[in-house]
Amino acid sequence: MLKKLVLAGMLAMPFGAQAAALMGFADSGMLMGEVGRYYQETMLNYSPRLGHALGVEYMRMEGKDDNVSSISTINYTGLIQRWNMKGGQMNLWFSGGLGESHGDDGRGLAYTPGLQFDYETTRLYFLAKAGLVRAPGMNFDTAAIQGGFSFYETAFDQTQPWFVLEARTMRNMSPAFQLTPALRFINKDFFLELGVSSPFDPEHRGPRVNFMFLF
Amino acid sequence: MKKFIAIFIATLLPAMLFSANAWATSSIKAEVNGMVCAFCAKGIEKKLKAMPQTQAVFVDLKQHIVVLELKDGQDVPLGEFKQVIKDAGYDVTKAEVVAQSAADIRAGAK
Repeated sequence: MLKKLVLAGMLAMPFGAQAAALMGFADSGMLMGEVGRYYQETMLNYSPRLGHALGVEYMRMEGKDDNVSSISTINYTGLIQRWNMKGGQMNLWFSGGLGESHGDDGRGLAYTPGLQFDYETTRLYFLAKAGLVRAPGMNFDTAAIQGGFSFYETAFDQTQPWFVLEARTMRNMSPAFQLTPALRFINKDFFLELGVSSPFDPEHRGPRVNFMFLF
Repeated sequence: MKKFIAIFIATLLPAMLFSANAWATSSIKAEVNGMVCAFCAKGIEKKLKAMPQTQAVFVDLKQHIVVLELKDGQDVPLGEFKQVIKDAGYDVTKAEVVAQSAADIRAGAK
């Protein structure tokens, strides 16, 4: 058990919502979440200084055979590297949490380490991420890539609309692979994404909402 | 004496007026790398607006510029200004004091 705790502690990082930014600026808070048919997640974190954030996260997964599992963690998000360019930005994030799982097999120690890479300009967006979502009797390891474009440039005070397409796999989920086209709206105060998961699969099709608020 | 007054009016008065005008519209204008998203760059605006010397702030993602207009008679060292941008996660490539208001620069950016 101690070995697991140490390992999880070393890897601990949360895996946030869908935007490139997994945290705000120094001395800021961020609330983010995802609400989908088979998966729900919410995270609240506080960034005491640039590149580091501490928070709490809750995930609920509806897996195969309609088994419902949930994981609650205390998490840390770290900016490993940032590349600022004249017309773009690239980031490499380390994210994960350490906490407790709840499921049909009872409770256990949960750990959720992950990595995320993103590249963004005012018109284009790309993201790739992968992470472990583990607990005794649970394995919801996930990987996803996203790509998108904005419809037009906007001023700093205006809301910018984007089209984003995500391909995601998540072990032991039903379905394990999800394709989600979405419309994203980014304002200086909020991030809102409205999508449809598995749009070509009537059995698993469902709405999905992602949101982020910075304060 | 009349000639003296005329010279005074012709030279010193415009200089004084110009000086007063420049005093009233002093801004720091910076070129900033990495600003691509309003949601992500909100920290720049929030931190700059919180400074007591700030009259107005203008952020332009397309032109990659940040403008801090100062209140009359106020000053912010360029080093302090650059540190605010850096703490928000971005890199300043050029910063200068200009005799323009944030509104003038915003109008010029359109």
